Amino acid sequence: MAKTILIVDDSFSMRQTVSIALKGAGYEVVEASDGKDALSKLDGRKYNLIISDVNMPNMDGISFVKAAKLLPNYKFTPIIMLTTEGDDSKKQEGKAAGVRAWVLKPFQPPALLDAISKLIMA
Amino acid sequence: MSTPSSPPPETAAIQANHSLTIFEAAEQKSTLLTALSNSSKSLEVNLSGVDDIDSTGIQLLLFLKQEAQRQQKAVVYTHHSPTVLGVIELLNLAAQLGDPLLMPRGETA
Amino acid sequence: MNLDAARAALVEEARELLVAMEDALLQIEAGTGGPDGINAIFRAAHTIKGSAGLFAFDNVVSFTHIVESVLDRVRNGKLEIDEAMLSLLLKSGDYIATLVDAIERNTEQEEPNPALRSKLEAELKSYLDTSSVAQTALEAAEPEPAAQLEIDEGERVSSDNWHLSLRFNEDVLRQGLDPLSFIRYLCTLGRIVHLHTISEPIPAAEHYDAESSYLGYEIDFESDASRSQIEGVFEFVREESQIRILPPHSKIDEYIQLIESLAEPAGRLGEILIHGGALSESELERVLNQQQEQDRPPPLGTMLVEQQMVPPNVVSAALSKQKQSEEKRSHEQKFIKVEVGKLDQLIDLVGELVIAGAGANLVAKQKSVNAFEEAAQSVSVLVEQIRDAALTLRMVPIGEVFQRFPRVVREVSRDLGKEIELVITGAETELDKSMVEKLSDPLMHIVRNAMDHGLESTEDRILLGKPSCGIMRLNAFHDSGSIVIEVSDDGRGLNRERILAKAIERGLISAEQHLSDNEIYRLIFEPGFSTAEKVTNLSGRGVGMDVVKKNIEALRGEVEVDSTPEHGATIRIRLPLTLAIIDGFQVMVHGSVYVIPLEMVIECVDLVHQDYRHNIIKLRGEPLPFIRLRSLFGHPPSAAQQRESLVVVQYGSQRAGLVVDQLLGEFQAVIKPLGLLFQQMKGIGGSTILGNGQVSLILDIPHLIHMTSQREMPPMLATSRSELSEKINH
Repeated sequence: MAKTILIVDDSFSMRQTVSIALKGAGYEVVEASDGKDALSKLDGRKYNLIISDVNMPNMDGISFVKAAKLLPNYKFTPIIMLTTEGDDSKKQEGKAAGVRAWVLKPFQPPALLDAISKLIMA
Repeated sequence: MSTPSSPPPETAAIQANHSLTIFEAAEQKSTLLTALSNSSKSLEVNLSGVDDIDSTGIQLLLFLKQEAQRQQKAVVYTHHSPTVLGVIELLNLAAQLGDPLLMPRGETA
Repeated sequence: MNLDAARAALVEEARELLVAMEDALLQIEAGTGGPDGINAIFRAAHTIKGSAGLFAFDNVVSFTHIVESVLDRVRNGKLEIDEAMLSLLLKSGDYIATLVDAIERNTEQEEPNPALRSKLEAELKSYLDTSSVAQTALEAAEPEPAAQLEIDEGERVSSDNWHLSLRFNEDVLRQGLDPLSFIRYLCTLGRIVHLHTISEPIPAAEHYDAESSYLGYEIDFESDASRSQIEGVFEFVREESQIRILPPHSKIDEYIQLIESLAEPAGRLGEILIHGGALSESELERVLNQQQEQDRPPPLGTMLVEQQMVPPNVVSAALSKQKQSEEKRSHEQKFIKVEVGKLDQLIDLVGELVIAGAGANLVAKQKSVNAFEEAAQSVSVLVEQIRDAALTLRMVPIGEVFQRFPRVVREVSRDLGKEIELVITGAETELDKSMVEKLSDPLMHIVRNAMDHGLESTEDRILLGKPSCGIMRLNAFHDSGSIVIEVSDDGRGLNRERILAKAIERGLISAEQHLSDNEIYRLIFEPGFSTAEKVTNLSGRGVGMDVVKKNIEALRGEVEVDSTPEHGATIRIRLPLTLAIIDGFQVMVHGSVYVIPLEMVIECVDLVHQDYRHNIIKLRGEPLPFIRLRSLFGHPPSAAQQRESLVVVQYGSQRAGLVVDQLLGEFQAVIKPLGLLFQQMKGIGGSTILGNGQVSLILDIPHLIHMTSQREMPPMLATSRSELSEKINH
């Protein structure tokens, strides 16, 4: 059964490219354009992994993760956060929210796929 | 490790949940412990339906085994699904979690 | 969807972001930028950098990174944004746009303008805190610590496998990290020779938390991977877990340290290490002896881990969050992004559907079965609705074009030293996406032209008693199947006398010709016409208004000009709403079917054969110029006494009549572009396919109307028409 990944990023092209890479690697992908959108997609569907950007309009990645961690169906879902250099304070906040997996932007798809494999390899 | 001296008629049997991951771990812990306490001698856990298992699941199986030992009982795992077998093989746990009837196979892996 | 599509999406998105960035910068300058303004700018740079990184577009990444760093400082209040920085950021945005253009052309390996880039980079870097820049440089300069060139040649173990000793933080599972997955991933780097699961830390039931991690692993691993690769497997857990990695042939000392640092009894660990082949029995003996000799403090009894086992009261919080997300769903995203290619495909298919529908209708009529005809009719109605709905999908607000102008006006007004205010209205008016792209350049030229030539200098305005600040207006609205775009200024208006003089000088008209004001104004669209007394670097680029006119006409549109001396001029562009499908009106001429865009048909009148040598008839007392399509297209004249019809068409404010043999009625025409060969043909706007599969030509009404007023009859058209029809039909 293919694993499903929720990707949260306000950049359409980022989502699209990542989505192509993930689908190419055999994952199913659900896209969300910001934290709020992503939260609305935590509707009982099972995600094996969530990839979220930090800096987004409407609801940023940290707030989204905090909210997700309160939902019984998603409190333990592996999360990769995409950060930028200089996001240190954000990173601390994310850490407090339970995030441990970080991928530094900019990255290339293989690097992300590697990080994903480390987390959810079957 | 202990093996049941004789297969007792009072053996209880339970079908393991299809998913043994962190999301179900707490609930499965109490389900399995209850099943264990409901049997006087041994508990047979059928793993045929397990299609998703993570570290918490494997850990739970080891824990149950250990807990049974403390209670002077026995837990036997049977009908391992391919998913479960894969993890047992990877973590070299056939001796602890394998099906007693198939154990030698696991040891050589 | 492939990577090319993703690349195109990147280009498109980057451009949108750059526009948003520019908007926000201009708002900040105008003092109307909210607190979110700078965040939006930062996010734009951030996103462009991230997306470019996916494709390893390094020159975009590195440049955007500097911009982002400056913005980050502004965002954090470390830098104040000032006029100079605004200009620099605007220029940097432009440069990013240039880089994006290069991506679109697949030439991103070449730096488009290295000189400009280094200039911008230098200016940007001057805003970055010098000490931190220096520090970064220092860090980069510092050599890597020489990879443990041990001077101490301690005793080494014989094993040529790696040994990994993994003890995880109790919280890893709760953090969504599964050691099982790490181990599986490790298998991609080499072969696990032996693995021992340490299950002893599993506590008794009363202390057992099913979500905590208790298992540890001792792994002997055969691999050619580098140390950093193996370490990388555990990058997400390294900080809080104990991950020990001993390379092949490690020193015995390191094994001592390993054994000492772990919670399990040394003897037990030793067995495991021997079993896995990491140590031989004699090596273990030596290890244990040395450990005693060294008389160190006792090994750590427990793992040093912190655990936060008190989950918050999740139930009530979870409920409220779920409720929130349900509310959100009700007004979930009102937009989805669709690839233009998919949309075009849909429009194409709808086009085919329209044609096929017309075919079905035709058969229905021939069979004259009532039920069949009715069914075909209701299908047609639906197809028409689908067509309209599909076409609206391509409609975008013209604001997309207009939003470029505040920047342009700002810059031009500085360059010219004129005070100019831009007023935009009707930005929400929609038109076909494909036109938006093609409209941008002509509009830009008109606006620049108006600012340069139309608006007076500030001093002149004051002398004339006008407000010192000149006004440029951009306006758009819908008008009976067209979109009208107006560019107005409140400047001096077109100079009738100067235009006339120039036109005579250039030989465009003769001195004797008597022309109306409108006819004179229209001369500015003639090729090679320029009234500017001095060529400025703005509009005197050799691109004249004639090019503007040509571009607009290529979109089946029309340009006209209104001018009032001393009060300003308005250039009005009228465009069809879509380029793809039109409601057509079919007419028959000498056995061939022609299509006239229905929106331009005013009325149809039966004609009794008479003498029209003057090419003017009187319709209800009004003179109306007309063209006989038979003669226009080189068909023989109709037989005397044959009934003919006159189709009255209108475009803009002009009317004309077209004489045809027969009226066939309304029809949805899917416009197919004419091949290169026929693009020169005046009077033909395109072709379409009829229900019976025949190709029919769509008349270019604006051009025909123009011809009636010019009273010209191009011979080219008159000779080649039947040939053309033949070519198209094969």
